[in-house]
Amino acid sequence: MSVGTLLENWSEFRHFHPVDDKPHDPYKWAMSIDLDTCTGCNACSVACYAENNIPVVGKEKFQHGQQMHWMRIERYWSEDDREFPDQGAQFLPMMCQQCEAAPCETVCPVGATNHTADGLNSQIYNRCIGSRYCSANCPFKVRYFNWYDYPTVDNVWPAEMTRQLNPDVSVRGKGVMEKCTFCVQRLRAVEVTAKSEGRIVREGEVQTACQQACPSSAISFGNLVDPESRVHKQWAAQQVVLEADEQEKNKEHGTSELRGYRILEELRPYPSVMYLEQVRESAV
Amino acid sequence: MKDIREDIAWAKINKDVLVSLENPRKMYWVIVFSALALFSVGVGCEVYQYNVGMGVANLNNPNVWGLYIATFIFWIGMSHSGTLLSAILHLMHADWRKPIYRFAEAMTTFSLMTAGLFVMVHIGRLWQFYYAFPYPSERWVWPNFQSPLLWDAMAIFTYLSSSVLFLYVGMIPDLAICRDNLHEGWRKKLYTFLALGWEGTDRQWRNFRITYLTIACFLIPLAVSVHSIVASDFAMSQQPGWHVTSFPPYFVAGALYSGCAAIITLFIILRYVFKFEDYMTKSILKKTVRLTFAIAMVWTYLNAVEFAAVWYGHDVDAKQVLIQKATGPFAPFWWGMIFCGSVLPLILAFKRFQTNIPVLFAVSLLLNLGMWLERWMIVAPTFSHGYYPWVWDNDQWPSLVQWGMVMGSFGWFTLLFMIFCKVFPSVSMYEVKEMVYHRSLHLKKDETAEQGAH
Amino acid sequence: MSKRHLLAMFSNFDEAELVVKELRSTSIKGFNPDDDLVVKSPIEHPEVEEFLGDKPVYVQWFTLFGALMGGLLGFFLISGSQAGFYAQMKGGKPIVPFPPNFVLTYEMFILGGVYISILGFLICAGLPAKRSPLYSTSVSEDKIAILVKSDDGGISALKAIFTKHQALEIQEEAGK
Repeated sequence: MSVGTLLENWSEFRHFHPVDDKPHDPYKWAMSIDLDTCTGCNACSVACYAENNIPVVGKEKFQHGQQMHWMRIERYWSEDDREFPDQGAQFLPMMCQQCEAAPCETVCPVGATNHTADGLNSQIYNRCIGSRYCSANCPFKVRYFNWYDYPTVDNVWPAEMTRQLNPDVSVRGKGVMEKCTFCVQRLRAVEVTAKSEGRIVREGEVQTACQQACPSSAISFGNLVDPESRVHKQWAAQQVVLEADEQEKNKEHGTSELRGYRILEELRPYPSVMYLEQVRESAV
Repeated sequence: MKDIREDIAWAKINKDVLVSLENPRKMYWVIVFSALALFSVGVGCEVYQYNVGMGVANLNNPNVWGLYIATFIFWIGMSHSGTLLSAILHLMHADWRKPIYRFAEAMTTFSLMTAGLFVMVHIGRLWQFYYAFPYPSERWVWPNFQSPLLWDAMAIFTYLSSSVLFLYVGMIPDLAICRDNLHEGWRKKLYTFLALGWEGTDRQWRNFRITYLTIACFLIPLAVSVHSIVASDFAMSQQPGWHVTSFPPYFVAGALYSGCAAIITLFIILRYVFKFEDYMTKSILKKTVRLTFAIAMVWTYLNAVEFAAVWYGHDVDAKQVLIQKATGPFAPFWWGMIFCGSVLPLILAFKRFQTNIPVLFAVSLLLNLGMWLERWMIVAPTFSHGYYPWVWDNDQWPSLVQWGMVMGSFGWFTLLFMIFCKVFPSVSMYEVKEMVYHRSLHLKKDETAEQGAH
Repeated sequence: MSKRHLLAMFSNFDEAELVVKELRSTSIKGFNPDDDLVVKSPIEHPEVEEFLGDKPVYVQWFTLFGALMGGLLGFFLISGSQAGFYAQMKGGKPIVPFPPNFVLTYEMFILGGVYISILGFLICAGLPAKRSPLYSTSVSEDKIAILVKSDDGGISALKAIFTKHQALEIQEEAGK
């Protein structure tokens, strides 16, 4: 039976994605983050904790590096002999880049992380056995492992706090890997509604928690294949192409005036998040 | 110096080896009980970790792999020289392997078993371990065959079961000897069952010879593939310091190296506790030591190749990882590895140390320490200095739970090995007879030739 | 007609060789040297095979069959399961990627080869075997034994040959 399927669909099974494949249709969820607007306020990270039932591990475990922030704000200082180095501070919100060709997916021994039809990098908690190979092979190190059984660890969610847990998101037990999902619970809800109404999801119908919480609207999120979406327009304006490992605009002049770039593009994971370079100083 | 005396009577060979099943020196029991104690420590650590969570190992989010993976590679590596002695030297007709290959093969089997345990203590949800096996499920869910970890599982399963079979088939004639000579009791029943009614008929020997040769031919590429696949866990990944083309041969050389060093250690222990001085002779020890020296130099060369390739390559990140290994927080261990792995074996080149048992005992242990450090230095530094700046300088010292389990694994291996040597003949009796027989024939031929000349 | 067994022990291969040669050259009624003659030895000894004449070994055909079946099974099991119900894209690689499947096919090739060779060995060597009617534990020590079976008529002739070559010990199966 399987061998029959194998031979019938042979050519379909021999495609490389995304380079010689058709783009995702009708959805390809993608993001762009404007670092020029980002103030490093951490509201996105807090919103993410609240939306996705992420355990707050406490001081001691944080010191051991066992924190679970799916969305982290990284700080970098300029080293150009300023009077106050934090004047040259730069912030970078970092979360799972939902790569089109994710290095984490191929190495999982049980296939607990896969590429979905709407262009996400999914994580199946029930299937994960905790080999942590995905994290070892992630160039961005954005995967977080449940080192303890957080739902039962004291003070992760003190008594009344459990009532604010999001019922749409499962609470993860010990020994599984987790990471940013692009708020997949929200995406699925609107996808289903749209389907029942016989249309596709409209621009602005869905927001991720981090996008919703960002006071300076640095984050835009949407369907990259929808020409009406803000994300599509931004990517197009910045001439960033999803299935390229080196953007045309950079090939011609070495570097382009345009601000859009993707992190570690040269490793060919084809990330779904575009960053817009910072041009202003943060503290002037 | 002779590998073995030609005038040992066949009956004496039986007697000497069978004695090892009965009453070893007191040291045997000391070793067995210390091993048991060490193993209990490891079990305690695992029970604690299983109940509380992987966090007690003091791993964290960029540093997700620790000593467990390093020690896993160490034990897989150790298993390789059993195959070297029993299969490669068998095909090369090096008959000095005969008195020592049985225990080397047992070492292969037990170190693979130990390595298997590390996969289990490493994973976060031990109770779902079976998800990694390709068992038919009504949900049509299969493991991911693209993952090098799955290749590992498959390769180790193949290697472990093939080596157990190889060990067993090679032992059948000896089991028949045990069956014929031991007094009544549970052991006699065990040997009678395992000997399968072997009587040494010409038909049995004929098929035995071909089978043994065939499996030896399979085991050599298998052993190479097993450690290449373990190397692929790293080489197939994208991380700087791991994504190195020369890793598979480098790992195989390292494997043979640590295995040969372990053979020297165990050789010396067995020779003492079971009084095998007539069979495990200094001349054989010397040959093993020379083999170890040669492999040490191959390993050193491949190490140099790897460093040079990284140094002259244009991969900035890989180069930074290398610099960090030599100068960062891991520097003492990294230089320790270079010393134990490349400098220390140089004394094996001197004839006077090649048969000096106390020196060899110490050196062989240090060589294995160096090889263990090598595995740790492959795994850990890449986590604390990868592509992404967020993980830089984030090194994590393994907790006592991890160290306890590493120690426990040595206890577990020693325990299994020592029990094996007490229950089964650790020197192959029929092959030592063959060795003695062929050498005495040779001697006779020489004598007649000499007389003819007069 | 009932056959009886006779076992003679010799102290080395040269003596045994002379006996076997004589047994093969003399014709004794009810005794066929190709089928009724078994040499038992404590060590593997290629010369025994020479003086006993060519007897084929078939283990290698089992090996070939096992290895090929293992490899084929491996490749189709793996590719078939990848292309099965949950054809799942991972890391942008093809759904049925060749390099990993070849690695696993190679392992299965060896696995099949080893397992079926062992099976072939057990079948060809007739193991596990019942103990033969006459056996001496000194075979597992240092003696060469020759086991023959013959009609009642041939027994005395065989015994004469053994005695002539100074057998160390002759065991005879009790007549039925």
